[in-house]
Parts: sequence; C-alpha cells; structure tokens
Amino acid sequence: MIEFHNVSYAHNKGYGVNNLNLKIDEGEFAFLIGPTGSGKTTLMRLIYFDLFPDSGSLTINGIRSKKVTKRKIPLIRKSIGMVFQDYKLLSDRNLFENIALPLHVLGFKNSNIASRVEEALELVGLEKKEKHFPNELSGGEQQRACLARAIIKEPDLILADEPTGNLDPVASFELVRLLETINETGTTILMASHNYNLIKGRGRPIYELKDGVLRIR
Amino acid sequence: MGKFIYLITEGLKNIWRHKMTAMTSAFSLFIALYIVGLIATAGNNTEKVLHYLRSKYKIEVFFKQDISNEEAVGLIHKIKKIKGIRTATIIEKEDAVRIFKDQFGEDITDLLGYNPLPVSAVVNVRRTDQNILRVDNIIKEIQKVGEIEAVKYQGNLIRKIEKNFKRLSNYLPYLSGFIILITVLIIYNTIKLSVYSRKELIRSLQLIGASNMFIKLPFIFEGVFIGILSIILVFPALMGSVKGANYILSNYTSYGVNLAFDLSIWVWLLSMVVIITFLSSYRAATSFLK
Repeated sequence: MIEFHNVSYAHNKGYGVNNLNLKIDEGEFAFLIGPTGSGKTTLMRLIYFDLFPDSGSLTINGIRSKKVTKRKIPLIRKSIGMVFQDYKLLSDRNLFENIALPLHVLGFKNSNIASRVEEALELVGLEKKEKHFPNELSGGEQQRACLARAIIKEPDLILADEPTGNLDPVASFELVRLLETINETGTTILMASHNYNLIKGRGRPIYELKDGVLRIR
Repeated sequence: MGKFIYLITEGLKNIWRHKMTAMTSAFSLFIALYIVGLIATAGNNTEKVLHYLRSKYKIEVFFKQDISNEEAVGLIHKIKKIKGIRTATIIEKEDAVRIFKDQFGEDITDLLGYNPLPVSAVVNVRRTDQNILRVDNIIKEIQKVGEIEAVKYQGNLIRKIEKNFKRLSNYLPYLSGFIILITVLIIYNTIKLSVYSRKELIRSLQLIGASNMFIKLPFIFEGVFIGILSIILVFPALMGSVKGANYILSNYTSYGVNLAFDLSIWVWLLSMVVIITFLSSYRAATSFLK
C-alpha cells in the first residue's frame, strides 16, 4: 500500500525527511509519532503527492512517485481520505455540503449522495447536525465531520495528520476508536500524532520520526 | 452531465454564500461598464449632434442690386450644384420687404419710395458628410458664381465646431480603447480578489482529489453570472441617462437634439463582459492552482 525507498526531502528552510524507508501493508493501521517539526506532515504530504522526493522513491497503491504527473494527482487523491488537525472544513457550507463534496468530485448522483452522507454522519455521531455550519460545532465535532468527509468516498487509505491535536483527551480517545472501527472494514490508516499516551498499547505499529529520521518503536 | 449541473449551481450558490463580495464585484463591474456604455452612447450620438448643428449653419448670399428674381433663380441653380450644398432657397425682393417689415415694423418701400433690398438666397450645407466640412471652400465656390454682392456666414463658429468634431472623432477610438483596457483590468482584479479570498476552498478541493477543471468551473460560472448581473443593471442606467439628457436638452436648452440609446451597444457590452469575466475567472482560478 505505502512503500518508501530511501526517500529524502528537504524544505527550503532545511527541515524535512532523510533517507526514509517505510512499508505499510493494505488494511494496516499504523501510527506515526514525533515532536512538532520532526517531519510527520512532510511524510504525509509526500504520500498524497503534495510534495515529491528529492531523492529515493515511494509507491502508493501501486503508483510510483517517479511516474506521477500533475494530471494524475487528483486521480490518486480520490482514493485517499485525509483528516487534518485544522479540519479544513469549508466555513461557507453546512456539514451536509462539506461531507458531500468528495462525492460530487467523484461524480455521484444526488440521489445516492444524500443516503451516503446520512450514513457517514451516523457513523461519526453527527446525524442531527447536517444543517450546521462548521463554526457552530465543537472542535471534536468538527474533527468527526472531517473524518466523515474522509470516509464517505470509501478510500483505500486514510491519512490522519495530528487529528487529535486540537481535541481534549476524551474526544481524542473517541476519534482513535472511530478510526479503529473504520480500519476494521479494511481501510489502511496512517495516523500522525505527538501524543504517545494516546496510541501506545493498541497493538499497532508505531513509527517514530525524529529530525527527519524514521525508526520503529 | 450531473456533475456539470452541480458546478453551475455551485457557481450560483457561491454568489449567495459570498453576498458581500459578489455585490462589491457586481458594483465595480457595473460602474466600469456603465462608463464604457456612456462613452459608446456619446460616440454613437456625436454624429447626430453634428448633423443637428450643421442643419443650423446658415449662409446668406446677397446678389447685386440689379439682379432680378428670374436671373437669381439661374444663379441659385449654379449654387446648388456646388459640392457640400444641400439646399439653396431664393428670397425674392418682395420677400425681403416682407421680412424687413416683420423685423422692423416698417415698410421700406413706403419709407424710401422704392425697394432697395436685393434678391438673396439662404444656403444650407449637407449634414451627413463624414469628413470635416470646409466652409471657406464652399464660400469661395459660391463667390465664383458671380453677380454676388456679399456672402454672410458664421465662419468662426462653423470652423470651431468642425475642428472639434474632427478632433473628437480622432481621439474617441483611443479613449474607448483605453477605457476598455481599464475596464478589463478592473474586472480581472475584482474577480482575482474574489478568488483569492477563497484560496482555502481551492486547497481543500485539491486535497480531496478535485480536478483542476472541477475547481475552476464554479469560479468561471460565478464570474460570468456576476458579469451578467452587472450588465443587466447597466441597461436601465444607460436608458435612464439618455432619457435624462433628452429631458434636460428639451426642457432647459434650445437644442432640438433627441439623443438615442442604441440597443446594439448593450448587446456589445453583454458579449464583452461575458468574454472578459470568463477569461478573467479562468485565469484567476488557474493562478491559484499552481
């Protein structure tokens, strides 16, 4: 599913990732841990081809980074669901419209969209909030909405970049439980976090990034 | 097809979602297009005004004292053949006496015992000439006819009007081009600002796998809709301006000119705004997709 071969990437300011080797199999739920600025987000951005390696190569869902053209990027991203620390929900649309957006991108019919959005909202426990706008929701609810937007298109892979960064411990725990439930359906998940206590003892592989260098914990 | 309809409705919904931005853009576009429309309407009516003024040019030709009415008719025929002359009307000796009496209240024949007034002619120039009217050349040609005592005309005024019209005709295309260029820049920057304020939306759409066209199309539709909205408002504004100008001209001035609003100007503005908003939105959205 995800394979990094000696991948290095340096931002203009110098930080980035250095000589990364990583393999995450289909259906796996892996954690990525490291302090702020260790390169977690860079690694995620490399996976959804927002960045390209300076050296080495990576393969996502059988697609090699060296063969990816700009035109192919949207197609690749259609099979990846993303959850961000800052949610990236569109403030001018209600929850229903936010969550339905990936389905419109995929060309679903309106009749199918409504039922799928309802299912996704129900899964994340926001079934009665579809008319609410993001600023009318709590941080935890916004993050769950973000997760609903990620899962609605039934992606092969979910990338969660610090999804609990803005949440309290209870909401954080609930979100990880939710991700585990989604993983049970066969979706591969890579979740970045700097909260070791939240992810330890779950029987999942934990990769640690420190100063751009990766090691398994 | 369903996706396309969704993108069109998104364009419309975006106007509603960002009412203030849309209203500001529509107002900027309205002002720019209204100014272009006014200039085009003014240009369109310039000839009409000139034709009106030319119809007021009056050249009076006084024949020599010994020329009879019958001889004058022959001379007037020659005058009518001169290039640039539309009509020449004879004022016979008897008519001249009547005009004198109307103006001064006295019968000159009774006062002097004879009629001293010569036969004369009122000459009007052709109004519809595209080129500048050279009144001095016409006067020279009239004088060549012979048996003429004097020619009276408003030389300075005619020369000034013709010169200014020529100047206006020369500069109007450049002025229009400049105004259109400014309009294009205003429209482009207005739309670019509107797109810029939604960079977050573009980024989110990119991250969920939307193609560039999927991201651009709602912005393009939105831009074109705003353009159409503003041009719809320009129509009554231009009509009102022309009607207002006509009201002022007919009620407060002695000019008998009735200005016209040409619908083709509005159709031309509509086509222009659709093309400009389409290209501007496309370019603005593209620049934020890089």
